[in-house]
Amino acid sequence: MKRRAVRGDSDRPVAWSMDILRQIRESAVDPDYAAVGKGKHASAGRWRLPLVAVGLVLGMVVAMQGWYTYKASPDAASEHDQLVSRIRAADKTNDDLRAQQVALGDEIASLQKRQADTTTQAQLDAQGGVSGGIAVTGPGMVVVVDDAEGTNAARVTDEDLRQLVNGAWQAGAEAITINGYRVTARTAIRSAGSAITVDYRSLLRPYRIEAIGDPRTLPARFANTPGGAWWADAKNNYGLSYDVTTSSSLTLPADPGLTVTTARKS
Amino acid sequence: MFAILALLIGIGLGIWLEPSLPTGLTSYLPIMIVAALDALFGALRAWFDGTFSDRVFAISFFSNVLIAALIVFIGDQIGVGSQLSTAVVVVLGIRIFTNAAAIRRAIFHA
Repeated sequence: MKRRAVRGDSDRPVAWSMDILRQIRESAVDPDYAAVGKGKHASAGRWRLPLVAVGLVLGMVVAMQGWYTYKASPDAASEHDQLVSRIRAADKTNDDLRAQQVALGDEIASLQKRQADTTTQAQLDAQGGVSGGIAVTGPGMVVVVDDAEGTNAARVTDEDLRQLVNGAWQAGAEAITINGYRVTARTAIRSAGSAITVDYRSLLRPYRIEAIGDPRTLPARFANTPGGAWWADAKNNYGLSYDVTTSSSLTLPADPGLTVTTARKS
Repeated sequence: MFAILALLIGIGLGIWLEPSLPTGLTSYLPIMIVAALDALFGALRAWFDGTFSDRVFAISFFSNVLIAALIVFIGDQIGVGSQLSTAVVVVLGIRIFTNAAAIRRAIFHA
């Protein structure tokens, strides 16, 4: 058997084997062309079929990829739109169910009113307002906070909202909502991804906190709490927007999630 | 002549077949195209050097395309598919530019 000589391997300095870029450039054209095809331009009939195959494969591969890329771009966009619309629909279902829950809660309250005697009813009304079980109306304070301006600016975090709410409680607020969601002793203010959630419902900025209490003293007392100090600091040092106003009449809805789940009548 | 006809038929086939293109193949096609381009430019340069051989062209074309697909396949198996694709594109890209420069010199003598 005749051994084929490996071209140019023997007389090459060792360092060249590491010189990969030079090697790539020097053997850019297949060395077999030089070895086989010296001066032969005309096709030999035998090789016509492979050439046809080359053309077929090349055309097919390029056309498939081109067509695929062309088709894939609107696909991704429509998929995105579909997902967005599905999220919107799910959100709407959620809201509808919540409204239904509130309506049923109201029905329960009116039935209760018919059954209970006056002292029990007075007790229920007094405690329902504090616990968040019934909707309440009254004067109070409105705090609107938002992320700072700019692309990479500071954002409001769940901790900021917790500080704000705790400060409002401390200042004497009797009932609080965040973006219309009633905050009770059992409400969790947390973050999920880039959104802040109140009882696992995500909020959209800006964040509007309504607190019922004496509008003459509530803002001043709030400013003196740790929560107020926290927000003064956030406004001055991070540029978060923070606006405190008072309102003569706020209506805060009940928290529909306040039910007894574990305790039983003894 | 036949090769150009075949190329047109291939384009038609590709567009006609695309809906049945299995998704597993989509990561191989771009690399195969780059490998095919490399073989094409090599052949073109050999033509200008007067050393073109359709046998070498056909063999180098198919081996290039197959090896490119094989490298990506192996890369996918060991979890470095995209990095290996990048490596293949860089190496073949250098070759394509080198050959294109040689072709340019052959045509414009500049």
